Amino acid sequence: MMLQLGVATAFADPLLDKEADWLKTMSFAAHQINYCGVFVYQSGGNVEVSRVTHVVDKDGEHERLEGLVGVKRELIRDNDQVWLYSEGHKVRIEKRQVKKAFPALLPEQISTLKDNYAVMKAEDDEIAGYHAHSVVFLPRDNLRYARKMWADSDSGLLLKAVVMDDHGFLIEQYVFMQLSIGDNIDRKWIVPESTSATAVAQEGNPLPLPQVELLDGPSGWQVDALPPGFRKILEMRRPFRGNKEPVIHMVFSDGLAGISVFIEKAESTTYIHSGLSGQGAAHVYNRIVDDTLVTVVGEVPPLTVIQVGDSVRYAGK
Amino acid sequence: MKQEISALMDGEMFEDQAEAFLDKLKRHPETRQDWENYHLIGDVLRQPDHVCKSFGESFHERLQAEPTVIAPYKRTSQRVRNFALSAVASVMALALVAWLSLQVGSEPAPRVAEANLQQDNAIRPASAQANDYLMAHQEFSPSAEVHVSAPYIHAVAGR
Repeated sequence: MMLQLGVATAFADPLLDKEADWLKTMSFAAHQINYCGVFVYQSGGNVEVSRVTHVVDKDGEHERLEGLVGVKRELIRDNDQVWLYSEGHKVRIEKRQVKKAFPALLPEQISTLKDNYAVMKAEDDEIAGYHAHSVVFLPRDNLRYARKMWADSDSGLLLKAVVMDDHGFLIEQYVFMQLSIGDNIDRKWIVPESTSATAVAQEGNPLPLPQVELLDGPSGWQVDALPPGFRKILEMRRPFRGNKEPVIHMVFSDGLAGISVFIEKAESTTYIHSGLSGQGAAHVYNRIVDDTLVTVVGEVPPLTVIQVGDSVRYAGK
Repeated sequence: MKQEISALMDGEMFEDQAEAFLDKLKRHPETRQDWENYHLIGDVLRQPDHVCKSFGESFHERLQAEPTVIAPYKRTSQRVRNFALSAVASVMALALVAWLSLQVGSEPAPRVAEANLQQDNAIRPASAQANDYLMAHQEFSPSAEVHVSAPYIHAVAGR
């Protein structure tokens, strides 16, 4: 392992459990805290600057995300409902589909975390004016990425996250440049700026979205070469893009990274055999098995999505 | 417009030019966002508390040694009108990449550029089609648990 993350190894062992619990705290903070700030996301030469506003009230979570460079785009999220606007025009609406069915997703994942990563406390830092604790997650093999996360020492809000490969190369990072945490966030930020956007938002839920069907039994599709420590956390049939038939979507997790396997009929219109592509730490790989398109997505190295994708087969019910 | 913002901020404009430009800024509210973004990034770059101590000395060197700046603007502008905007955006991106590489601190920052260039050659950026899968995946990914906006960062990126 060639990583040099400035890890305070002296603190490593006694805090293991506590550091793993950190993810729970960060997850809670991400959903329950009011904040507004500007963050930068960088992956290779790709740099994106966005402003995020997150407010929680009796009706739940409200979030607004605006891209600050280039064409004006923004996203409004009201709990599970998401509207995306481009220069004031609604371009897309979606609903986060079955999240509510899995409120206990995270604790279950955390139990597997330490089997796959060495979790260590690292040096404290200051980010966007907030005192931050940091934790390093070093993978036990090269089939997943290393991560370092910084969280506000008071609220637990994630202030910075870095993903690195096994040579210590930076794959992507996310960091707040400017941030306010607290109850004094101006609610005007979560209302879309342009009047057309407001009008659309007030229409409420415009389309009854097709239902996701969670599968109790196996679909008959099997993944033979998952990296050690990845467990299936759910399997569903979901509507996807314009597909006539629902797509089988399996989700696997090692506690920190996720791998999705999508299985769909390779219709001539949807058939695009693109092989391997990527966006930051996430990689996408697809292949055709007979008349079926298999797509694997995960925040894992390219070789891992290929290994997983090449091992998907229909084993029969 | 962006070049004018840049010139004004750097104090490279004559007084009458500057007045005319500020007038123009008032008449075109859409340029205010550019103005604010430019200042925000400038502010961050100047914040001594959050920027590496040797920022000033090493800034120029790092820019020289920062090949990643070639990468973001490989894509060609669809319209000529966008060209100036891209040019200034690239200056901002370049400054940010430099700033971010310092933010990594004790991690081996100088290798970032090299690695990403290799990666750019090997792996194509996700297509619009692949993006649908990415978003569908991220809805359930553990990393989105601690980072609620993660699935949408790319959706609001003005590309």
